[in-house]
Parts: sequence; structure tokens; C-alpha cells
Amino acid sequence: MESNIFSLKQLQNWMQGMLVHHEPLENGNAEVPVMVEHVVNSSERLSAVKHLDIYRYSYIARLRACMQSQFSALAYALGSELFELFADQYLDTYPSESYTLNTLGEKFPAFLEETRLDASQEEKETWPDFMIELAGFEYALSVIFDERANENNTVTPNNTPDELLKPAPVLHLFHYQYPICDYYLEFSQGKEPELPFPEESYCAVTRHNYKLGLFTIRGAQYYFLKSMQQGNTVENAKNDLIKTFNFARIELDKIWPEWKKSFIEAGFFVAKNVKGP
Amino acid sequence: MIEQREKYSDLIKSLPNPGLGLGLRSKHFNYILENNPEVDWFEVISENFMDSGGRPRHVLRQLAERYPVVMHGVSLSIGSTDPLNKEYLTKLKLLAEEVKPLWISDHLCWTGVNSLNTHDLLPVVLNEESLKHICNRINQVQDFLERPVVFENPSTYLTFKQSTIHEYGFLRYMTEETGCGLLLDVNNVYVSGFNNDFDPVHYIHQLPHDRIVQMHIAGHQHCGTHIIDTHDRQVVKDVWNLFSLAWQLTGGVATLLEWDGNIPEFDVYHNELLKAKQHMSSILVVDQVTETQEHGEEAVSNPVDFLVNDVVVN
Ligand SMILES: [Fe+2]
Repeated sequence: MESNIFSLKQLQNWMQGMLVHHEPLENGNAEVPVMVEHVVNSSERLSAVKHLDIYRYSYIARLRACMQSQFSALAYALGSELFELFADQYLDTYPSESYTLNTLGEKFPAFLEETRLDASQEEKETWPDFMIELAGFEYALSVIFDERANENNTVTPNNTPDELLKPAPVLHLFHYQYPICDYYLEFSQGKEPELPFPEESYCAVTRHNYKLGLFTIRGAQYYFLKSMQQGNTVENAKNDLIKTFNFARIELDKIWPEWKKSFIEAGFFVAKNVKGP
Repeated sequence: MIEQREKYSDLIKSLPNPGLGLGLRSKHFNYILENNPEVDWFEVISENFMDSGGRPRHVLRQLAERYPVVMHGVSLSIGSTDPLNKEYLTKLKLLAEEVKPLWISDHLCWTGVNSLNTHDLLPVVLNEESLKHICNRINQVQDFLERPVVFENPSTYLTFKQSTIHEYGFLRYMTEETGCGLLLDVNNVYVSGFNNDFDPVHYIHQLPHDRIVQMHIAGHQHCGTHIIDTHDRQVVKDVWNLFSLAWQLTGGVATLLEWDGNIPEFDVYHNELLKAKQHMSSILVVDQVTETQEHGEEAVSNPVDFLVNDVVVN
């Protein structure tokens, strides 16, 4: 066979197909399937196929390892065997299109949702819901960790007047059907958390000195902080809670100093710059 | 065009030798910031920092004030038949403006085609068609970045039937046609030589030594029938010998130890690098690591999982 069976582009397509899809997507300009032996040299110790196999094996192993580091809590929760199975299927369905590995797992939570085994059944298992939420949370953490933002590095005094408080530049709020944040924290502290039962949960993630802070919060606090993120003042966010959740004004005013103290300590708030007279 | 090439070529030849350097790894961030170890310079993986608005970029900003830095990339994909990625190049240029690296390097390889990225350093066909294609792209990249780029010989695990030029000749033509520089990875020469039946000593002799601005040394895994470039252990005797040879032939250039898997504590990593000092002259060195074979399916070439951010939770 003539050795220049491929143009450069065809050859790259062929090799990438062998790596990513385990087989060539197209066969270049050849009418019969192209044999590895026609493209790759054999050597003293290895056949052409074995040479190519080194790349094929490394391709999936290396990206699987990246998925494992990006979703370490999920890998623990699923067990390594099941995690690998999902990761391999994912990489097969959504091969990387980015120059950076940091976004490798971007579509993984959606992929888990799309491919859940009970997708077509009416009665759904609950554990996939937990896994999907955990995957989403882990990916979000990796994004927040490296997002461009003004770092929350100023100290906000506890006695800052309410009207000068605003949400910190890095403050992300999450609402889940499982205790995701608690599970993640336990895992990251080296404990071995068990698969949790469904339980609605809320959490806030901040970044201080480039390190993430994870806090489980209450539902009312979640909606309060959301309201402030939409541009409301403390007073208006309080009114929102009263209106939407039938909170008693008197109860809210009683609990507010406690909220304020813990929110400031957790870094949820910064003080507005006051300028002018 | 010729003028530009001469300019880049002169710039390459005037680059300094900053000494013995280490790769910057997130595992060592705190140690380096707190202890200011006496390392001559650091090599940073460009992709790890170019999009970072968090801790990696913050750490790099501080280190770039204390140490000379070189930017080493893995995603330029100079050999690909896809168009050059302008977004990537723009970010690379912006990072370089901030970090002010001594030079920018990447590999003679392609990483993907049809907009995919395999995140591997795949071997290029070595013939006239691909040489022309690659030189053309190097010219574009260098003109865009407004500086010469340095290219590394990758570790390879196969050769193509369509190749007609030896890799050392291909690299030499690249430097002549574009004025680019070379990063000689002596471990990669050893690995590729074993896997593809060529003599690494002959290979190193054939290179244009005045274009080599940097060397890489690293550990690998010998699997009996082939060698995988794992960057996860000490450097073996044969690779140190190649380093000595290359040191003599180049007159000594910036040298960096790569360690990307099973990354040890900082001082272990640094001590392995400092062994290079014993190999700069031809005096016999004792106590070297000899090759042991290890069979197993786990060996992965160019591990990349260290490139994924380690999220730090308070
Ligand atoms: Fe290298």
C-alpha cells in the first residue's frame, strides 16, 4: 500500500478518532477501512497496534484522573468503579473542546441527569438526585474558587449600620433537596459520610483570601440574602420575607441582630463605601 | 519575513541562563510563599493561570516578583490542522504581559482536531508538508505574541509511515525557518528513542545546539517493551548521562526537573533537581538510580490531573 494515504488533516482525524471514539470516524480517502499497520510503523518490540494503544489507553486514563480530581466527593459517593463508568461515558459523549482542563466537567451534572437509568420510568430512584446535586455543587465550587472577583479582604465592623451593608462580591447561594454542603464538608474533612436521606438544604459559599468558605444556612436566610443580591437593602429584604413568608415583623426584628452578626463574621456582607458629605 | 526571523533568532541566542528551575505546582504554593526557597527560577503551566481569577493567579503574581518565571504551555497545538485558537493566544499574550516570563514554550505536537482537545501531546507527521504547515503557524504565533517561541521535543510512542524526516532534523529546520528556540527534554529523547528504536546520543548530537535555551529532565516508567513518560519519580542514570552530554554540547542552559505525578514534598523535589550540578561536568557520579522495569497498566504518559485546580476550603 502507498504510504501517503492520508492528507495531514485526514491523518489527524483518523488518529483522534482512534483515541476518542475508539475507532476512526472516517477512513480518509481510502475505500477499505484503514489498518493501523498502514499508518503506523511497528518497532523492534511493539506492533503498530500496540504503539497506537499506548495513546488510546493514556487518553482515557488521563482524563478520567482529571474528572476524579474535579469531582472527588462524587467519586467517593459513587465508589470508584461506578464513577469511572460514568466518567468514561461522559468523556465519550462530551469530549473536551477547551484548551483548559478546568472546564472538563462542565456538562457532567447535566450528563448525569440525561443518562439516569430511571429517566424513562415514572417511579424514580432518589440516589441519582443526590449525585446530580453533588456533581453540580462540586463543579460550582471549582468555578467560584477561580472566578475573577474583588477579593473579600476588608474587615466589616459588626456595628456597621444596616443601610451600609451589601452582599460580598463572592457570595453564592444554593438550594438543594439533599444536605449537599454538609456532605461535602464532611468529605473534605476526611470523614466518610454515608449516603444521606433527602432533606431540603441551603448553603452559602464565600471566598476570603482566595479560600472558599462553605456555610449551611436556613431557608429564610437564603431568601433574605437572595433578595439583597437582587439589590435590596436590609430593610427591603426584611419586608420581602414578611410579605412572602408571613414572617412576623417582631420576630424578624428580634432575630436580626443575631443574623447580622453571623453574616458579617461569615463574610456574606461588606460595607458600602460612603463618599461625599 | 526574513528580517523578523533574524530578529527572533537573535533574541533566542541572547536569552539568559537563569540556572536550575522547578515546576510550580499548587501542592507547593504555601511552602514557597512562606519559605522563599533558593530555587533559581520557576516554570509555570500557562493554561493553569491564564483564566484564573483566584488563588493560582494571586500566587503567581507574588512569585513573579520574587523569581524569574518561564511560561510553558500544553495547548498551543502547533501541529494541528485546525486554525490557531485566537482566544487562547490572546490570553497567553495577556498573561505574558503580567508575568513577564523569560520566554514562552510549548511542544512540537498537536492536541486535537475538529475543535476537540485530547489534552495529550500527539506526535506530528515529520515530512515536508507538515514542516511547511508548522513553520507557517510558528510565524503567525510569534508575530502575534511579538516574541520568539521555544518548542520542546515531546515523548512519542509511535512513528508514522508518512514521516520522511528525523525529528532532530525537523526541529533544526523549524529553527532555521522561523527563528524559534528549542527546549530539549533529554528524558523525552530517551523515552522516544527506546520506543521508536533510535539512538538518543546520536539525536542529541544532531540538534542545533545554539538554539537550545532550556532543558527538561524527568523520571519515567520502564514497562519492558516500552517506556512511559510519567514524570512521577527520580531521574535514571541513563537520562543523567544524556543531560551531561547535552550540557557539554550546549555549553549549559536553563534546566528544569519535571515532576507531575506522585508529587513529593518540596525539598525532595528540589534535592532531585540539585543533582544536576553533579552532572554538569563529566566527572563520574556515584549513587545513581538505575533503571528498574515495572509492568502494569497504570502508567499514563504526560499526566495532566495536576492541572486541575485543587479547591481550597477554609
Ligand atoms: Fe518536558
